[in-house]
Formats: sequence, structure tokens, C-alpha cells
Amino acid sequence: MKSKVKGHNSRFIVMLVMLILSGCGGVRNANVADTTGSQPVATSRVVTDDLGRHVTIPLRVTRVVSLAPNLTESIFAVGAGDRLVGVTTFCNYPEQAKSITKIGDTMNPNMESIVALKPDIVFVSTASQIESFTKTLDANGIAVYVTNPMSLDDVVKDLFALSEILGNSENSGVLANFVPELKREINGFRERMKNETKVRVFVQISKEPLFTIGKQSFLNEVIDVAGGESVTNEVESAYPKLSKETALALSPDVIILSESDDNREPNEVFRNSPAVKNGRVYKINADIISRPGPRLFGGLYQIARDLHPKKFPVPF
Amino acid sequence: MKRGLVIGAVLLALLVGVILVAAMLGAERLPLFDLNEQQRSILYDIRVPRILLGACVGASLAVAGAGLQSLLRNPLAEPYLLGVSNGAALGTMVAFVFFQSLELTRPILAFAGAGLATLAVYRMAKSRAGMNVERLVLSGVIVTTFLSSVIVMLTTLLDAAKLRSFTFWLLGDLSQATRNGVYLSLGAVIIGTIVLMSQARALNLMMVGERDAFDFGVEVGRVRMLVFGAASLVVGAAVAASGSVGYVGLIVPHLVRLSVGSDNRLVVPFSAIAGAIFVVFADTIARTAIAPRELPVGAVTALIGAPMFIYLLRKN
Repeated sequence: MKSKVKGHNSRFIVMLVMLILSGCGGVRNANVADTTGSQPVATSRVVTDDLGRHVTIPLRVTRVVSLAPNLTESIFAVGAGDRLVGVTTFCNYPEQAKSITKIGDTMNPNMESIVALKPDIVFVSTASQIESFTKTLDANGIAVYVTNPMSLDDVVKDLFALSEILGNSENSGVLANFVPELKREINGFRERMKNETKVRVFVQISKEPLFTIGKQSFLNEVIDVAGGESVTNEVESAYPKLSKETALALSPDVIILSESDDNREPNEVFRNSPAVKNGRVYKINADIISRPGPRLFGGLYQIARDLHPKKFPVPF
Repeated sequence: MKRGLVIGAVLLALLVGVILVAAMLGAERLPLFDLNEQQRSILYDIRVPRILLGACVGASLAVAGAGLQSLLRNPLAEPYLLGVSNGAALGTMVAFVFFQSLELTRPILAFAGAGLATLAVYRMAKSRAGMNVERLVLSGVIVTTFLSSVIVMLTTLLDAAKLRSFTFWLLGDLSQATRNGVYLSLGAVIIGTIVLMSQARALNLMMVGERDAFDFGVEVGRVRMLVFGAASLVVGAAVAASGSVGYVGLIVPHLVRLSVGSDNRLVVPFSAIAGAIFVVFADTIARTAIAPRELPVGAVTALIGAPMFIYLLRKN
């Protein structure tokens, strides 16, 4: 059993490493397959985004703007980071993203800067709640592709879609292989953790005022797959401000801190909770668990290891 | 005077009643007797401090409103409309952004901000011909909007997680009540109310006109400084503890004057009690309406206060 788990883990790690390495590579090939016949050569094609919108894009996408940090990370992960011409001020990962032209922050992107960059396509994530900008960009004749990642599978699906849109004959083969494999890995993980006793987890997004994750957060699934259960998964909205009375009464067994400047320790109300008493408070970089992007799989692994340390004897 | 005593007794009884009812209501249902350890913690560590802080904040804002209205002979003089609250909010925000580790910087800078805003409004409103209502309201509006824009500019320095906490706090939030916070607010409101009551007789004379008051031997300048100082002190403490809770300083003194007349010896202390009742009531709604989530208390006071003010306006 133990070795099986170990083997599974290392495969998972290999996938993650591949994901990260592929982000740094950037193999490029300018050829477009199957357009050499006597038929008139198509110059554009139509793809469907997560909202079901039909988006017309050039065959070869070379100039890309990302309006969300999770998308910037995904674009690097599929090997197209060098085609990013504009990102948000929140896009701080990978390191190369920091030197790309900033077009404002995720909440207030600057339309003039975006238009001036002449992008072939702008990627928007509903996770950053700026759907309204879609209309303005559409009106300016700029292709807008909206992603709507609500689950781990969606994250994989979006990676696949990105690799399709941005890929080319040479590296799309690699990507086409590794994306389904990533999916199989997640399912394997899910299967593996299925029979574990669910650990009762409280995810603290901010200490004061006390914010947590609610019913609509994609982290519920991540915690579930990792062998836990969010104690606030019945509370409405994605990031609710929770009553401290309720928080105290929930007495979670584990507290996960979405680590940021003002969220480095559990709220005072958890003083007597089993989580604090047993020292089961874990920190995860807020950037990793707040972004439905490629690093979320690493976050999933970290949460699973924190929740079930005995199942993960090998330090990662 | 006798009628005043009766009304005072009724108000006190109401305050005690509202506090008791508030202590029985909350996101978690508690039994009346035989509380277990966890339930006692919910009651004494979370609910009761919050109710008491709400009472202090309500009393603070209402006495500040009562004092400023009499001093400036203006029914619209209110901490929020005069920019005092925003001055305190800016002070708190500076503490929040630059001196986060020092707990005491919040009330101190809030007090300083409130004081500076008050002085600025007063200096702008005063002309050689004296001070008229229009100039005062105009100065208040200008200082308020100016400070708001400075606050908005400072929020761009905050990261996403901090921004969420700060926005919530700005709307008025009592969830961060601690025992120390209650002591601080209680101390401030007791001192502020005593100072204002000591000036009640002088304020009564000044309501007729500053020149007349001067003829009666009132040291107008001294009274002015004491009232401004007391108002800044209580508003600073209230805002540092709970953000900007609007309408309390506007509505409460008006209602009190409607029932006991304009004698400040009664208006000031009764406003304190009525303000406490109003905020404890509003916060009980904020705590329970969408439990286990919470509303900002400032939204509830505005929701009750605005229609009430329109009603009073039409009636007079």
C-alpha cells in the first residue's frame, strides 16, 4: 500500500515538474498544419469559450493579453509565455511575468493600454469578476476568450483549451498528451483519498474581519479531493464574512491559512479549537490557493499531505 | 425637568432591555441557563464585547452629533457629514497601511484625523461675517469628499485580501470587538460625554447666538475648542473601533430634541443612551439577518436612518 502511494505521488510530481518545465521552454513553430491545399487558406478560426461564446481568432495567435494571474500562469504552463504582451499588476508568477507590460490590476484594467498592445486575443477569467470588460473589448474588435474555472477538471480543461489556441504542431502533441494524463492523475488522486476519513477543515481567508470560503468556492472540491471537508461549505457565496460565533462553534480539526500579510495566524476565536490545540494549523501561499491555475495541483498535494500526513511519508 | 427624568428612565430601561435581548440573539443559538464552556466563550468573548462596543460607538456618535449641532447651530452638523468621521477613517487607514503592528496607533491617528478634519471644516466655514449654515455644510461636504478620495487613493496600496477587510471595515463593522477595544471606547465616551455635559449650559446660550452668549459671559472660544475636542475624541475612538457608522449622529439627537426639547443638559446624556440603543439594535440585525454571514452595521444604520431623516424633514 505504502509503495503504491509513493509511486503514485512521484508520478504526480513528475507531472507537476513537466508542467513547470514546459512553462519555461517555449518551443515555437510557425507552420500551420493542413492549409497547403488548393482551397483558399483560412486566416481565422472560431473557438468556443467557457461561457459558450463563439470567438473568432487568427490561426496563429502571437500577441496575447491576460487579465488574470491564474491565466498568466496557465499560459506560461502551456509554453506560450513568450507570446504574452500584457498582464495585470497581480501577475507575479512565474518570474518572467513580472517584466511583461502591465495593463492595470485585475479589477481595473486600462482599456487604452490593452488596445494599444494590439493583441490577437485577450484572456479573461470569471474568477476575477470582470466580465463587464468583455463587452468593451468586444466593441473594440478584440477577441475575448472567457474562462470560467470552477473545479479541478475545469482548470485542466482550460489548460487544454489554452494549449489548443496557443499551441502549434510541434508542442501541441506534447500538451495533448500531458493534459489528459494530468486529468487521470487527479482522478487517481481522488480515488486514492476517497476512503480516508474526511478531516474537518476551516479555510481562513482573512483574520480580521473573519472571511472564509463558502458554497461557491472552487476550493471546496480541492479540499474534498485532498480528503477533507470544508466546515463552511454550506454558507452562501464564495468568500463570506463569517460570524465569529459560528466560527467558534464549528471547532475545526484543521485550519488552513491562505497566507498573506494580515493572515498569518488563526483568529482568536479558534483559541480552543482542536486545530489550534493539536497544532494543526497550516499555511498555504494565498496566490496558490486563490488562483484556479496550474499551481493549484501543487496546492492540492500540499493540502492532502497536511490533512493526511501518514499517507504522505515522503517529504515533498 | 420632571418629564425629562421620566424620559431618561424610560431610555435607560430600553437600553438595558435592548442589550439583554441582543445578548440572547446571534448566529449561534444559546440556551438561557447551564451554558457549556464553548457557549460561555461565544457569549462572553464574542457576543457581549461586541454589544458593549456597539453601545459605546452609538453613544459616541450621538453625543458628538448633539454637541456639534448645538455648537454650530446647525441641524445638519453630524460627524459623518462634517468630515469628522472621514478624518478619523483616514487616520485609521494610515495606521492600517503603515503601522499595522502597533494596536494603539489606530485610535490615536483616528483621533488626530478627526480633530484635523473638524478644524479644517471650521476654518473654511468661518468668514469675517461669522459662520452661516450654507458655508458650514458646503465645507463639510468638500472636506468629506476630499478625504474620501484620499482614502480611495490609499486603497490602491492595499493587496486584494487587505482591500476586502478594509472595505468591510469602512462600511462600519463591529465584529472586531475585543475587551480592550471596549475599555478604550468606554473611556473615550465617558470623558467625551462629561466634557460635553459640562458645556451644556454654555451651549444652551450659544444656541441663541455666539454674541449673546458672549454677553452672558460665555468664553465662546474655549467652549468651541472643548466641544470640538470632545467630538473628535469620541468619533476617533468610535471610528477606530468600528469604521464609519453613519446617520447615528444625525438622527438620534433630533429624535431626542423632539421628545425633551433643546436643553443640552438633557439632550447630551439622552443622546448618548439613545445612540447606544440604536446601534445595538442595528448591529443585532447585522449579526442575525443573514447568519452565519454578517452585514456591515453601517449599512443597517443607513437603511434605518435615511428614511427616518426624510420623515423628520417632512414633519418639521
